[in-house]
Amino acid sequence: MTILSKDRVGAMLLLAFCVGYGVMSQEIRMLPFQMNAAFHARTMPEALSVLGIVLALMLLIFPGSDTKPVLRGYNWLTAALVILLMFAYALTVRPAGFLLATTLFLMVGFALLGERRPLVLVGASAPIVVGFWLLMSEVLDVYVAPLPAFLGR
Amino acid sequence: MIEGILIGLSTALTLTNLVMVLMGCLVGTFIGMLPGLGPMSAIALMIPIAASLEPSAGIILMAAVYYGAIFGGSTSSILINAPGVASTVATSFDGYPLAKQGKAGKALAIAAYSSFSGGVIAAIFLLIAAPSLAYVSLSFQSTDYFALMVLGLSAVAAFAGKGNVVKALLMTVVGLMLSTVGTDQTQGVQRFTFGALDLLDGISFLLLVMATFALSEALLAILKPKTDADRLREMEAQRNLGSMAVSKAEVGEMAPVIGRSSVIGFLIGVLPGAGATIASFLAYGMEQRLAGPTKGAAFGHGSVRGLSAPETANNAAATGSFVPLLTLGIPGSGTTAIMLGALIGYGIQPGPRLYIDQPDVFWSVIVSMWIGNIILLILNLPLIPYIARVLAIPGQILLPLIIFFSLIGVYFVSFNTFDIHLMIWFAIAAVILRLLDFPMAPMILGFILGAMMEENLRRALLINNDSWSFLWERPLTAGILALAAVVLIAPVLLGALRRRRA
Repeated sequence: MTILSKDRVGAMLLLAFCVGYGVMSQEIRMLPFQMNAAFHARTMPEALSVLGIVLALMLLIFPGSDTKPVLRGYNWLTAALVILLMFAYALTVRPAGFLLATTLFLMVGFALLGERRPLVLVGASAPIVVGFWLLMSEVLDVYVAPLPAFLGR
Repeated sequence: MIEGILIGLSTALTLTNLVMVLMGCLVGTFIGMLPGLGPMSAIALMIPIAASLEPSAGIILMAAVYYGAIFGGSTSSILINAPGVASTVATSFDGYPLAKQGKAGKALAIAAYSSFSGGVIAAIFLLIAAPSLAYVSLSFQSTDYFALMVLGLSAVAAFAGKGNVVKALLMTVVGLMLSTVGTDQTQGVQRFTFGALDLLDGISFLLLVMATFALSEALLAILKPKTDADRLREMEAQRNLGSMAVSKAEVGEMAPVIGRSSVIGFLIGVLPGAGATIASFLAYGMEQRLAGPTKGAAFGHGSVRGLSAPETANNAAATGSFVPLLTLGIPGSGTTAIMLGALIGYGIQPGPRLYIDQPDVFWSVIVSMWIGNIILLILNLPLIPYIARVLAIPGQILLPLIIFFSLIGVYFVSFNTFDIHLMIWFAIAAVILRLLDFPMAPMILGFILGAMMEENLRRALLINNDSWSFLWERPLTAGILALAAVVLIAPVLLGALRRRRA
């Protein structure tokens, strides 16, 4: 039997999550009269953490399958870079404006995934971003600042 | 009723309203097809346009967008396994395997015929039974709602498969846990917010769905580079959808499924708070059970029944969810909640008086459902091969676009970059869990039902003077809970029996 099967690894992760959730459920602040209610803000979280821990332990002890987790053969670096790119987009979409931040996000995203043709990099990003922004702001009346603040927005 | 239908026809068949249905269906299909933008985002985006129209035209437009987006969502579920909304998650279980087998056209046609049938049959139910069905849901009490939600959650066992019941239940509990984040509705207490103002309203449903499906799907596609053979096969599925013809035998197989799923979908949709997601999962689970061991084993591998059932049920439930919205003023789903907001914006208060005060609005919405479904079938189905070309874009271009639409779909609802950060973290967690073969759908179901379940349980306890006796003293509640227990235990017992016989 595989000791570190996929089910067991997942069960351990979720067990840690459920234990953490249960511990934090004790930090839900309530007034004394609220604590006296039969069903209060902590009741459901407490019940869920117990249920979660029981189920995670069941899975840990009786895993459904013995398949081992595989770490090789995945593009970890590219995925990590795309995740970083997403965080960068979240940080820049406001200060840099929608048009600039999104065009850069798409261009870098295409490049990270292997697109090298400059015409495609620009052609598949800028027109889509401008078109999307026009659709949002001009047709649907949903305004997003298109440019950085120093360019007058 | 005849008078009502005539009022509805005379309103819905005006040129303006017909244009609204046509436009709504097309726009809805297009938006719904883009992973990351589902019916909720589509309707939310339509509110500014609808506000400038007459109430009936505005509501007709939003209803058409709703249907179109559900139809479009099914298309992306089938072609690229990226459901934009929870109600089309079950569609991808068998739709995507069919597409991988080179039968994408057939899968899309089955989905379209099933959606059409579900929508039309449910609209007939709605027309005939709207007043009496409103009474049925009125007779439900908090205790019954709680029991019904337990039934919905225990149904996860039905689609978990062998050896996965505990994993599915564990993921359901995780979803329930996530639903407790935010301000407790009754006591006004903050839970798991870590002092962050952005978490006071809890985690957005749209955010969680996008993160666990569209975004994690894109990240998994980046992690697991496709082999040349895979890429060729997928390009072939998207570019050449294959025949859209459905054989006589397949029609024969679909017909009873459509009948049953329409009924179950409509009834679930009528119940406030239930909605298309539960309906699609329940219909899928029910058909898997009814199919028997041989045909049931084909579920998840490209079964016609497995595709037809959730597609019929989600459309029937979408129609059914208009019953509590129009007759009681209670939204049956997240989407109808947005529509409720729009109705109130028009100065229309949905409820029993809507029949009397604004019959044109009430009946034209019902009639427009038929028109919308007919337009979806005769216009969108032939157009799908062309609209689906948008999905035949190479991976290095499509994946960043999917990520962009997912991120921006959530950002455009709240305009809060915190949501983007949260979404990325959820997507990372979802990728890890999916790599470990943990299912995401039960978590979404738990998340959707969590808040309602807690609220109804709390209310039931208050009504019963803090006594839990309602669980066995009220026959309807006890009956539903017993059914939930059967749903949960039956697969285990049947499996044990089969093993003993073997």
